[in-house]
Amino acid sequence: MMEEKLTSQLINLKAYRTEIARKYTTFLSKYPEIFSDLCIGSNFDFALYESISDYDKHSPVDIFNVYRSSQGIEIKPGGAQNPDLELALSIKAIKELIQTKNKIDYAQLLGSFYNNPDEENGWIDFELHKRTQRLINMGYGKFAQTAGILEDDDGI
Amino acid sequence: MSKVQELKVKNKYTGEIIGTVPADTPETVRDKIKRVHKNQFLLKEMDFFERAQLLSKFSSKLRFKKKQLKDLVVAEGGLPIKYSEWELNIVMNGFKFCDWYYQFLEEKPLTSIEGEQLVRIRYIPHGLAACISPRNTPISLPLYQLGANYLVGNGAIVKPSTACPLTMLEAYALMEEMELPAINALDLVIAPGEWAVDEFLKSPLIKTLMTITASHTAKDILVRYGRFLKKTVDKSMGVAMYTQPFKNFFFECAGNDAGIVMDDVNLEQVAKWNVMASFTNSGQQCFSMKRIIVHQDIYDEYVECLVKEIEQLKYGDPTDPDVDIGPLGSRRILMMMEVMVEDVKKYGSKIFTGAEKIDTGEDYGLFYKPTLVEIKPELCEDLTKAPFLWREEAFGPVRSVTKAKNMKDAIKLANASNYGMRAVVYSTNLNDIETFKNELEAANIYINARPMLVDITVSLGGIKDSAYPPGCKYYPQELVYGKYIYDGTLLNLEKIK
Repeated sequence: MMEEKLTSQLINLKAYRTEIARKYTTFLSKYPEIFSDLCIGSNFDFALYESISDYDKHSPVDIFNVYRSSQGIEIKPGGAQNPDLELALSIKAIKELIQTKNKIDYAQLLGSFYNNPDEENGWIDFELHKRTQRLINMGYGKFAQTAGILEDDDGI
Repeated sequence: MSKVQELKVKNKYTGEIIGTVPADTPETVRDKIKRVHKNQFLLKEMDFFERAQLLSKFSSKLRFKKKQLKDLVVAEGGLPIKYSEWELNIVMNGFKFCDWYYQFLEEKPLTSIEGEQLVRIRYIPHGLAACISPRNTPISLPLYQLGANYLVGNGAIVKPSTACPLTMLEAYALMEEMELPAINALDLVIAPGEWAVDEFLKSPLIKTLMTITASHTAKDILVRYGRFLKKTVDKSMGVAMYTQPFKNFFFECAGNDAGIVMDDVNLEQVAKWNVMASFTNSGQQCFSMKRIIVHQDIYDEYVECLVKEIEQLKYGDPTDPDVDIGPLGSRRILMMMEVMVEDVKKYGSKIFTGAEKIDTGEDYGLFYKPTLVEIKPELCEDLTKAPFLWREEAFGPVRSVTKAKNMKDAIKLANASNYGMRAVVYSTNLNDIETFKNELEAANIYINARPMLVDITVSLGGIKDSAYPPGCKYYPQELVYGKYIYDGTLLNLEKIK
């Protein structure tokens, strides 16, 4: 089967509070295929945090939503009403993530920020807003594996 | 009865004291049981999904402290740092996605022959559980015990091994730091098993005793409970009446897993996985390929591959990222490895590699070199005469290899055991694979699987002497009981008004 060619749409780029959110959304829009495992209609928030304590207080500096449409992905500012989950990222992690040159390097780095989180060097986390089983059915498990978040333990 | 008021915890490799923690006394254990029991209602103020979400958040907290926790696991548990990652990941993944277990606890309607749905099976937490965990996993098993009880709504007291309680104490402190709701319905007991078990058995407040221990120790617990019950007999009415109630006993015990390698696989690849499955955590794992059974046509070649892989294992300082084999958990384990190897030598068995100890003369820095021993198939069938290494769990880095004539013979050898935790098969013959699935006597069958999976579907449990109750299982489903509810209100309300 041929890999589906996905498109991406960046909505209202000017509405972001931070430059880093603009850079990150622009970066993500280059790799819509990262989201190809997700079911059409799935959507989740990316929340950007300065520190772990801000994350504890749920006080992001910026937030955007990625929606998987039939053609590809739509990225728009602000959180969704009822997102499937929230992906939380430290600003330091994003600064490094947007330097990666391809989706494989991006996934590896994202996985490393998840599996070896560090306040100084960067971290990511996620909070599920829907039941795990439902999210698995929506393709998030496969997405997390492709994105490097769920480790493939072949290398142990 | 112990009068120890504090416990010194040693680094398993260097012997350095890495922590001194207050130890419980029988009085403080009883107080903890009462307090946790009293606070159990706090768990019922939340539903399953609220509790699941809190555990998921706690999992993130653990991950943010992963480096510190890994260092503790390595220091007090002796696990090589490369495997401490797995030890943490398996429990963090389980907690992160713990609402997945709802599928085992969801209330179920039953349809009668007439097509009516008046009956529902609802799952109710048993009540306070006392849990005892082993020394080989400083965090994953004790935390899984604590979390599974919290998830279903049982108060829980967990007794980590006194050899390695620091990681669990750190995890519990993290729960306190995040102000985990209903944390007062959970507690840890730092006490030796010898008398702590008796406190748990004697307390009528404890409904479930959950242990991860050797099968013989688990049977001893049942004997002790029997003796205790006997003391409570009331004969005042002319017949013997036991005044103390049943308890739920939930034992995860030893494994003596067979690993079958057939003649149609890539020997080098399988040997790599086999060695990982057999020697992870210096072989101190209940699930571990302990009895390696190999098809006769590839036996010599496979043994050569195995020995090559085993001899590449690096043992030593567990903080070294290249080290595969860390120090043993205790002198007793070292002694058992020696006894097993000496015993098997009496049968004229060939030692392919290992069979040497490194003994500091202290209770730390103890090693037994990864060892592979041949056991002739004719010695395996009669368990009363089989070598000790075949009959009993080798909870250390000594493994046996045995030749099988064919698939049927491999199954017969694999089933020649008092244990039935897991069985592992490597074969590419699809018909044989189905036969293996059906005929191997183990609660968990792994076909052509990589070892050390970090997967929420990985189940615990066993049959024979590996677990009680028998079968593969997930902790949350064992910590509840099914309540049958027939509600005829809609059908009969008018009739009884």
